[in-house]
Amino acid sequence: MVSVRTVLAGLVILLIVVAGLLILLRPREEVAPPAPLVWASTQLAPAAEQAFVRELLKDFTGETGIEVEFVPLGYAEMASKIEAEVTAGRVATNLIGALSTEIEFFVARGWVEDLRKFGALGGRTFFESVERASIIRDSKAYVPWIIGTYVMVINNKAFDYLPPGLTKEDVIMGSEKWTYDALLEWAKRVADATGKNLAGFPAAPGGLFHRFLHGYLYPSFTGYQAKEFNSLDATRAWEYLRELWKYVNPASTTWDAMAEPLLKEEVWIAWDHIARIRAAITTKPDDFTVAPVPAGPKGRGYIIVLGGLAIPKGAPNQDEAWKLVEFLTRPEVQAKVAEAVGWLPTTMEAEVRVTGPVGKIVEGSSRLLATKDGIPVFIPPLGGKGGEFSSTYREAFERIVLRNEDTRKVLDELMGRLKEIFESVGVPLS
Amino acid sequence: MQVKGSTLLRALRSPYILLTPSFLYMIIIMGYPILYAINLALRDPTTNEFTFNNIVVAYRYYKFGEALLYTFIIIFAVIILDFILATLIALYFFTSRFKGSQIVFYIFIIPLTLSEVAAALIWYTMLSPTSHLNKFLLELGVIEEPLQLFGYVFRHRTLLAIIIAEVWRTTALVFIILYANMQLLNREYFEAADVFGFSFLDKLRHIILPLLKPAIESALIIRTLLALQVYATPLVLSGLDIPVLSTITYYWFTERFNINVASVYALIIGVIALTLGSLYIRTLRVRYEV
Repeated sequence: MVSVRTVLAGLVILLIVVAGLLILLRPREEVAPPAPLVWASTQLAPAAEQAFVRELLKDFTGETGIEVEFVPLGYAEMASKIEAEVTAGRVATNLIGALSTEIEFFVARGWVEDLRKFGALGGRTFFESVERASIIRDSKAYVPWIIGTYVMVINNKAFDYLPPGLTKEDVIMGSEKWTYDALLEWAKRVADATGKNLAGFPAAPGGLFHRFLHGYLYPSFTGYQAKEFNSLDATRAWEYLRELWKYVNPASTTWDAMAEPLLKEEVWIAWDHIARIRAAITTKPDDFTVAPVPAGPKGRGYIIVLGGLAIPKGAPNQDEAWKLVEFLTRPEVQAKVAEAVGWLPTTMEAEVRVTGPVGKIVEGSSRLLATKDGIPVFIPPLGGKGGEFSSTYREAFERIVLRNEDTRKVLDELMGRLKEIFESVGVPLS
Repeated sequence: MQVKGSTLLRALRSPYILLTPSFLYMIIIMGYPILYAINLALRDPTTNEFTFNNIVVAYRYYKFGEALLYTFIIIFAVIILDFILATLIALYFFTSRFKGSQIVFYIFIIPLTLSEVAAALIWYTMLSPTSHLNKFLLELGVIEEPLQLFGYVFRHRTLLAIIIAEVWRTTALVFIILYANMQLLNREYFEAADVFGFSFLDKLRHIILPLLKPAIESALIIRTLLALQVYATPLVLSGLDIPVLSTITYYWFTERFNINVASVYALIIGVIALTLGSLYIRTLRVRYEV
């Protein structure tokens, strides 16, 4: 006696088996398509930026017929991947997109090709400073791809309260009158007139305030990022920051990025990374001015974050990879990247092409890069110790400025730690 | 054969055999990560050699003491307020039924459905100096300048804001547990109490609270463990101005890239959770002596 249920169960099982067989035995494509170029990158990793890159790469595929697979990776993953591939002699990565300091580490290990064999790229002029940086140990290590920096963003209302002797022109062009003392005076006048402390920094744990400390304040006051960490000039820098902090919005310690506070007018004069103020500029382009940072007694310290494109040693299909390099550094493509993602172009021709609100950021940043008293610095290549390095400056700030501890004592104590960090990586204090 | 089979069957029914899958599950899901964390906590970040140095570093970190203090302040303040509020509201719903009480009930548990980060951002926006709340108070003339709650100099106000936000977010959880259990109470006790002329407070003291003890116990355990995890609210509202154990763990892991010291803090949180949990179970164990 066979019940209906048994029949049904039998049918279901039969159906599953048949479906399984069909899937297993389906006709396969005869020829595998050519393997796509693998472009691994530590930059442009956020989801929205990835989507933009994939869209951009369609243009490249349409033009050349070369498929590209964009693989965003963390720096640690990238380093171990390249190391494994190069040492095993089976390189699967065709192109590397990474920060200059990251690539520097690869060059030291001999993991990347000297790009001079491909000749020069026509139709574009790379900025002198970035071109020079890309030649490491007499080898052309990478092609300068994207630039990031940190700038001042000023609500136009603040220009009504400029201190005597400082003009709007001085600030916008980054003249020698646009100094940290002038900034202090300005913030004070704004506070006196409005009753609010309207200067601001992204000093929450997720903010980039440590970059201001080691890449802006320190070079401007001591000439170096770390070398003069506990010098007399450094104590002056901290005394200055203590004074300035009286006119800084105290909620700064809860801000990761300055776009929001700028838009809410909780801040009129702000410092932050260009990508993190972008939303303010694109939302209300007429309200804000992007300007160079002020100068200190030693000059105008600022950080250049430079991203480059490199080819791993022994990678296959290098000519195709070079075509991708050519595409990505074309002025019109760089202008697109700047408009969509906010990274600045590395070529003069691209810069003039950037239009719209982002053009203001490009303009402000390139004025900073053009200042005569500029002290451009790179973030030290400390690898995994980068967090320790940043937190040393953060700790100094918290203890000296927020908790009012003795400047000398704190700096002397932390100098030991800083030295250890640099020694452990084998990088000289700079 | 027959005999052997039945012994086997009996052996299979032994509770230990039956529990094996859960034990295996616990070992894989809980035991392994804990052992892994202990291993990480005892390894040097650069050389990977065995060391106790991470514990020293974790202990000497200048915010560790504060983090411990603030964690406990937040736990105790939030739990006490949670239980007082939740009990009062549950009693209110229990004793009086009005038209639309169901809707009020649902509205009341909305905060529970929000993610911690979303709730924290709502409070941050609401309490910031340019918020509508501040504008409203300014217009009413209650305050003369916007209330500043955030930033290191105002960290004690921020602490207050964190406690308020957390209470707002989690009272509903305690409320639901208490209210559900109140509804299960046998109404006959209350009828008997009425016969003896008990006042409401007497009923509360001698009937409701004793019978709710198991519910209070589980609510306390759940609530304490959740309070130990408190993370997004202090991070969003204060950055590290009000450090708590979970935010400094996060800080050491993501900002200082030091998973080893972060593991030490994670283990400290684990030890505190286990200690408090067993303490509750011991002290609140229900004894049926009646």
